[in-house]
Amino acid sequence: MILMQDFSFQYASGKKNALENIDLTIADGDFVGIIGNSGAGKTTLTYAINGIVPHYYSGDFYGSVVVDGMDTVESKPEELAMSVGSVFQDVDAQMVASMVEDEMLFGLENFGIPHSEIEERLSEALEQVGIADLRYRELESLSGGQKQKVAVAAIIALRPSIIVLDEPTGELDPRSSEQIFQLLKKLNETYGTTIVVVEQKIGLLCRYVKRLVLLEKGRIMLEGPVREVLKQADVMESIGMHVPRVVSLHKELVNRGLYDGPAPIGLEEAKAMTEEVLA
Amino acid sequence: MKGLMNYFPGNTILHRLDPRTKILFPLMICIVCFATDNVYVLLGILVLDLMIGLIGGIFRQALRLLKSLLKIAAFLFILQMLVVRDGEAVFHIFGLAITDEGLMTALTGALRLIDITLPLALMISLTQMSDLANALVSRWHIPYKYAFAVTSAIRFIPVFSSDMQTIMEAQTARGVEFDTKNFFRKVGLIVPLCVPLLISSVKKIETAAMAVELRGFNLRNKNSSYKQAQFRLPDLITLLIGVGLIVLGFVL
Amino acid sequence: MIRFENVSFGYKEEISIIRDVSFHVEKGSITAVIGANGAGKSTMARLMRGLARPDKGQILLDGVDLKTMKASALAAQIGYLFQNPDRQICKNTVKEELEFSLEHTVQDPERKEALIQEVLTALDLDPEAEPFLLSRGERQRVALASALVHKPELLILDEPTTGLDYKECTQIMEYVAGLNQEGMTVVMVCHDMEVVLDYSTRVIVMTDGHVIAEGQTKAIFQNQDTLRKAALLPPQIIGLSQMMGEGFEGISTVAEMADAIEKKAKGGAEK
Repeated sequence: MILMQDFSFQYASGKKNALENIDLTIADGDFVGIIGNSGAGKTTLTYAINGIVPHYYSGDFYGSVVVDGMDTVESKPEELAMSVGSVFQDVDAQMVASMVEDEMLFGLENFGIPHSEIEERLSEALEQVGIADLRYRELESLSGGQKQKVAVAAIIALRPSIIVLDEPTGELDPRSSEQIFQLLKKLNETYGTTIVVVEQKIGLLCRYVKRLVLLEKGRIMLEGPVREVLKQADVMESIGMHVPRVVSLHKELVNRGLYDGPAPIGLEEAKAMTEEVLA
Repeated sequence: MKGLMNYFPGNTILHRLDPRTKILFPLMICIVCFATDNVYVLLGILVLDLMIGLIGGIFRQALRLLKSLLKIAAFLFILQMLVVRDGEAVFHIFGLAITDEGLMTALTGALRLIDITLPLALMISLTQMSDLANALVSRWHIPYKYAFAVTSAIRFIPVFSSDMQTIMEAQTARGVEFDTKNFFRKVGLIVPLCVPLLISSVKKIETAAMAVELRGFNLRNKNSSYKQAQFRLPDLITLLIGVGLIVLGFVL
Repeated sequence: MIRFENVSFGYKEEISIIRDVSFHVEKGSITAVIGANGAGKSTMARLMRGLARPDKGQILLDGVDLKTMKASALAAQIGYLFQNPDRQICKNTVKEELEFSLEHTVQDPERKEALIQEVLTALDLDPEAEPFLLSRGERQRVALASALVHKPELLILDEPTTGLDYKECTQIMEYVAGLNQEGMTVVMVCHDMEVVLDYSTRVIVMTDGHVIAEGQTKAIFQNQDTLRKAALLPPQIIGLSQMMGEGFEGISTVAEMADAIEKKAKGGAEK
């Protein structure tokens, strides 16, 4: 569980708070999408969960952040890392090895996983991500989507209870992006892993996550189950956020008095909505 | 396209050597090259270097590397040929006597440069950096931090060189001419090339450092490594060849 | 404007292959190049700017073969924006950055100054700001400004919206669309199908180094077969119109969709 109480943070190099008065609870097994404009504090929020803030980037830290019972200020990043797996934006920079297998081994070896257990964990993680065939490939020869999967596999081999990802599909095409989210959903549903993901592609995000957190200028502007947040499409539009087109359509139909149901998530639901209006 | 210092995967006998052997052998060749002045030994080593490329399945890369080394070697050759004044004049260029000793010194110098550089570069192309780091830590008890720093530096070379390529293209697209022959203009190109490279490198390294820390880098010890380097018969043979060459180098 | 004739590239390097591609980008259009990762889109953009030379075939800019053109002429006629602005920003202030871009293309100092002022105003940039301290979105605007400050006839954008939020993305695309109205031809490589639908007039679809379709944006997005082959999904409203079938053909915007639904719902009620 992640518990943030009246949490504010200002980078040592910053002029104002990157995050301000954050009260947020993320329960075990939740799947949360973090959205917001550039500079809203999305990345900082992920840093607060994995301990990069305040251990790597120092600054003024107010309030408290407790992850899996550990206070992030008092715990060392590597202790937190046993619970929280992190996938960074720049997938190339976070790789340490030249081969997939060695990339996987790095974390397993570091955390002192008994050598007798390593083979099982390694092949299981590759299997879960669906890249068992890539085990002996060079990272250099992989596509962006494949590399991203390797990064996720290397993290889940450590069996963290929480995974935070910062724009994992930033440079991926629609199909690969979809695959990454299907994978996250599977991890969440099958193994109960708590997932926190920052994402720009809201249309994609809404179809997979359970809850949304909308940040604006360091504060939480909206927070709740996906449908609840999408109901307030006006608020999102007012700060220049992208609203999925089917949600805009829903708003238009509601305004014209044709429909009063909840906003649709994805095309199938949009179709159902349209059919209901026509019926 | 793959450049220098990139790992070339494969399963040849050289790939399977103990990483320590792959570092020691080039060092031995280095000793041989400095021990001997014998042109035939140096030529022999050049052949051996190319054999490494052939056996390791990277002969094309070896030739490409040789070609670029030849340019530097040629420069060194001309310089020494002109500078060394001992010995008897063989012929004259613009009234300057070129001596037999000058030619010999120049030739051995050029050959040495190639002989020393090639095997190390080739062996690195046949070695996975993580294996090397693990071997250094578990067998030679070098602190992991240092081993990791060295191997990361080597691993980042191709990353940065591909960044460099992109930056050159980005600046070319703005009309910067990198192929200019004018020296002063060339100096002026350092800013558009190096500033972005520096910035992007610093960012990359920062992310790398964070990512590594969050994957338990600080918890690692000398027994962490899962794969253990094995010193086997081929390693012994390779090192014996190295010792033999050193002896030969001192004798001849 | 620009024409590819049987262009092939990259056989030797084994990656980013372009296979025997022919097409034509119309003057005054905004043409989007779409396709999956690795389909060859960025390579095509690089070829178009002369950053890579085709192994076979030729690329003509207004009828002139690119490889016969001087580097300065190419720079003057074509602007190019890379995905990552940090690949090119190298000066201490935004203004110096723009001057650096003009150094190779415009000589007259007065004209230089005028061009710089114009683009600074249009993109809402502070000339004295330090580019490295700006946000990602602002840096992208600086990079865009330096790509088009000299008013090229052709502007190539390689994934201009990656790493930007929607607001920043619309701001950049609105400006580009305005320049297009004034006659600038634009080619953009883009992953975001909603942006492609909103801003481009023509689309080139690529898979595996081939161009598999080319035409009006809306027409291409209506063609489910092409999109499936290219591993792409249509923009949401077009996708919905296809699912709804009869009576919803050719619809691509929210307003059109709402109108169609309203009309049909009321029509149904009257019956």
